Amino acid sequence: MRMRATAAIVPLLLAGCGVFLLVGSLESALFAQLTVSGLANGGIYASLAVALVLIYRATQVINFAQGALATFATYVAWQFIAWNMTYWLAFSLTLGCAFVGGIVVERVAIRPAGRRGSVLSIVIASIGVLILVEGSIPLIWGTDVRFFPSAFPARTIHVGGVAFQLQDLGTIGVSIAAVVLLWILFRFTKLGLAMRAAAFRPEAARLVGVRVGWMLSIGWGLASALGAVAGMMAAPSPSVLLQPSMMDGILIYAFAAAVLGGLESPAGAVVGGLAIGALLNLLGSYVGWVTPQLLLPAAFLLMLTVLLVKPSGLFGRTSVRRV
Amino acid sequence: MTRIKLALALAVVALGVSVSAGLAATSSGTPGVTAKSITIGGTFPLTGPASLYSDIPKAENAYFQYVNAHGGVNGRKINFLIEDDAYNPAQTVPQTQKLVQQSKVFADYGSLGTAPTLSTRDYLNKLGVPQVLVATGDSYWGAQYKKYPWTIGFQPDYPGEGVIYGRFIRNKVPQAKIGVLIQDDAYGQNYYAGLLKGLGPAKSQIVDVEKYAATQTDVSQQVVKLKSSGANVFALFALPTQTIDALAVATHIGWKPVTFINNVSNNPLFLYLAQKSGADVQNDISTTYLYDIYNNPKSATTKLLASILNQYDKGWNQLDGNNIYGLASAWTMVQALKNAGNPPTRAGLMKALTNLNEVNPFLFTGIKMQTSAGERFPIEQESLEQYKGSTWVPFGRVYTKVK
Amino acid sequence: MRAPTALRFTVVGAVALAIALMPFVLSDYNRSQGARVAVFFIAILGLNIVTGYTGQISIGHGAFMALGGYTTAILTHSHGWSTLPTLPVAAAVGFGAGIVVGLPALRFHGVYLALTTFAVALAVPQLATNYSHFTGGVEGLPLPSHTGIWLYGLGWSVAAVMFVLSWLLLRGRTGRAFRAVRDSEVAAASSGVSLAVHKTLAFGVSAAIAAVAGSVYVLVNAFVNPDIFGLTLSLYILIGAVVGGLGSLWGVLVGACFVQLLPIGISNSHTVSAQSVPVIFGAMVILVMALLPRGAAEALFWATELPKRIRRVHSSSTPQRLEAQ
Repeated sequence: MRMRATAAIVPLLLAGCGVFLLVGSLESALFAQLTVSGLANGGIYASLAVALVLIYRATQVINFAQGALATFATYVAWQFIAWNMTYWLAFSLTLGCAFVGGIVVERVAIRPAGRRGSVLSIVIASIGVLILVEGSIPLIWGTDVRFFPSAFPARTIHVGGVAFQLQDLGTIGVSIAAVVLLWILFRFTKLGLAMRAAAFRPEAARLVGVRVGWMLSIGWGLASALGAVAGMMAAPSPSVLLQPSMMDGILIYAFAAAVLGGLESPAGAVVGGLAIGALLNLLGSYVGWVTPQLLLPAAFLLMLTVLLVKPSGLFGRTSVRRV
Repeated sequence: MTRIKLALALAVVALGVSVSAGLAATSSGTPGVTAKSITIGGTFPLTGPASLYSDIPKAENAYFQYVNAHGGVNGRKINFLIEDDAYNPAQTVPQTQKLVQQSKVFADYGSLGTAPTLSTRDYLNKLGVPQVLVATGDSYWGAQYKKYPWTIGFQPDYPGEGVIYGRFIRNKVPQAKIGVLIQDDAYGQNYYAGLLKGLGPAKSQIVDVEKYAATQTDVSQQVVKLKSSGANVFALFALPTQTIDALAVATHIGWKPVTFINNVSNNPLFLYLAQKSGADVQNDISTTYLYDIYNNPKSATTKLLASILNQYDKGWNQLDGNNIYGLASAWTMVQALKNAGNPPTRAGLMKALTNLNEVNPFLFTGIKMQTSAGERFPIEQESLEQYKGSTWVPFGRVYTKVK
Repeated sequence: MRAPTALRFTVVGAVALAIALMPFVLSDYNRSQGARVAVFFIAILGLNIVTGYTGQISIGHGAFMALGGYTTAILTHSHGWSTLPTLPVAAAVGFGAGIVVGLPALRFHGVYLALTTFAVALAVPQLATNYSHFTGGVEGLPLPSHTGIWLYGLGWSVAAVMFVLSWLLLRGRTGRAFRAVRDSEVAAASSGVSLAVHKTLAFGVSAAIAAVAGSVYVLVNAFVNPDIFGLTLSLYILIGAVVGGLGSLWGVLVGACFVQLLPIGISNSHTVSAQSVPVIFGAMVILVMALLPRGAAEALFWATELPKRIRRVHSSSTPQRLEAQ
């Protein structure tokens, strides 16, 4: 009976938040606009957070390099466009390159560290990748800030005094689509099952013929491709733009979103990202003592509070620790 | 085992390289000056989040190389060492120490950033190393010269710029309801203080002040609040990233106030990016003190500037006004070096810089660089400009800073 | 991981002697660099206690350094304290902060703990910027400057003291309790080791040491502001700890040299542009993790074990399989 009750809390809480946002938006155009802008930011956090969750689910590793890899991929896309490819051709090619790139990174940098090392050796290797990849971008493309076109038309829709950017709606849509695709992958495909097995019980998976090494590589490849999508969704935004450090700020909130939602739950990552985006805007506007500098600590305080109550995040499952 | 051996060998090599590379040879005499060369150096954000300013030292170096190819300074070639500090004072300090103690520079030139410059100011002044033409608009460099006689700035300071906008609004926009966006720290406070001073009695017309943290790249929340406060004048005193975002968000939410953009963020490159992001920046106002190459494309100065950069800084971005800044600053340094004695001395350099009375070809036509013993702001004049089409167009007279 | 005691003491003595004698052949600039290595040495030592010996991952030790650094800066700048007495105060502040972080950390495990400490590391500089009235904000606070030799002496004396204290702590009951918690919490708890006490204590001690590292750090720079405690600092401490070898005090010096001297060495060698330095450093980190995933301490262990293994292989026919920790 108790299990049932606690399982109901999270959906109730989220429903409550949704109602709160809706009512507030109907009451005040300012509240509505703040919420909409906040959700737009949240969409960007969510898209990167989904990539983080995928990597964690597939390999049990926190990938510090996720942001840098996403940035690199976006630069590659920019290069393709600069070579006069159409946007969608560049987009698809970039996804392919990112997929391959992720596999290469896993094989060259991560696998050797994992072979005889601990989890931390892998984390350090991923930090090495972060430093290397982020450092290589200015060497190839310089330090100028550039414009990156959006997949969606640059149109603003006005509804009742609130402005919606088609681009932002598109980003949120893409994140949700990614979650759905991942759900289908893990739930209904053999590949997804093999990947879950490889992450959860590598030894047992090997015994039934799963090629664990390849599953890890594919996990990195897919996450890298998702990160590329996140980068290409984020870069057109005027608060991001195409520059070497573009993902730095986003990565932080993406981690918070992923943890908040539960590191193994893509849906949680999206909910977490949107929640953080909206919350930051509302906190900054309505709670007087939250100065701009206190926003980041406030976001983390929220994350921490949720974790204290639910240590594996909103949608995470508490795992039974084996003795 | 081979792996371990290989790793150990690598470690020994790495350690050896680091240690021995540190033990550099030293020379004696007036630091940085030989019969054939003058060595100067500075710290700049070549990597990290502020790396978009890394073209400034490149432009400066281009000018120095141009001068070197034309006889140098009294026959001496300028050797400009550009060190990376990633805008982190924990790197600025050791890099500056390296410039002074290992590379034995004659002067610390053009170092960029308020906090980085503050972190080495005591050190440089204590050792009597000139810290000149620092690339930041804070007032400290001009105002605190009694305590720090070896330090001097270059560009017009932020409070003075704020005064210009304040006076303009007071005189020309009488029905203004002013909304302000500033950074939540001393940088933002500098502009705000100047704005208040310039507004005088009109400061009661400020309806909302919003602040952002330097690490916040999205300011949509603040812009939304400003719009809802009913402001019809927007004092946008931010850093480039936040400026571009604010301009785009304002247009997206349907807010079109009379907008004032600060000098740091008015680079044509940033306005271009804002426009691509959907911002309507027509008729926005800012100040300038650099030579206007965009409205004088065929002038001798523009041709000279282009030829210098094309030869010594290939691939320079023509939209990026920082290049002109770099040339203007480097020109000032060369003038000062020429007047610093032959052979140049550090005291001579400071004397030259505190007795400026020059027309710098890379500055806005009509501006004169002037300093004296008690007046240490090399550039105190700015012109207003307004964005029309896709360029800034100067208008009005040249303002001199109100003291 | 135990080389014979006599050998260990000789090695420590030799290294200590080398460190003590080095400043006499170094320039003033290089002495300050040496002091910076000491800062990382102390910080990595601290991190090792909570992560290497007690198994709790912390990616946020830059935050504890910030607390110690700001304590020293504020006391010397705004309250006229002289330098040395601020260090114990910084340690106390760090200890308190460590306990505060350690308590909720009891609830989190593994990656969640890591990300929580990551959050703390990011939040502290923001708080420093916010309360600029005390901290000087972004424009920071200057500190009295010192010569390279003074800084080197301070840094390495503090490092030596911290090293000895850590060694004493770790070889005693507390240290054994820490290791028990790391290796198996359930086994430790059922042997009567209080998990809550030891996990929190580990955080407290670790943070106190990191805070002292922070104090030396701001003294070496003669300046403090939030930017010097960015995420990079925490990541570098972690890199240094892992490259040096977690769970061992011997690799700490190697780790500290790796993160402090290698980037400087690459840029000083002037063979590559300043903008290539991160690429090369990143590549070296990956390389080291590929070759020595368990850090330099593993290599050192092999080096000391090698003579014994050769003898053993010659004298016995059964090959010995070495358990890595």
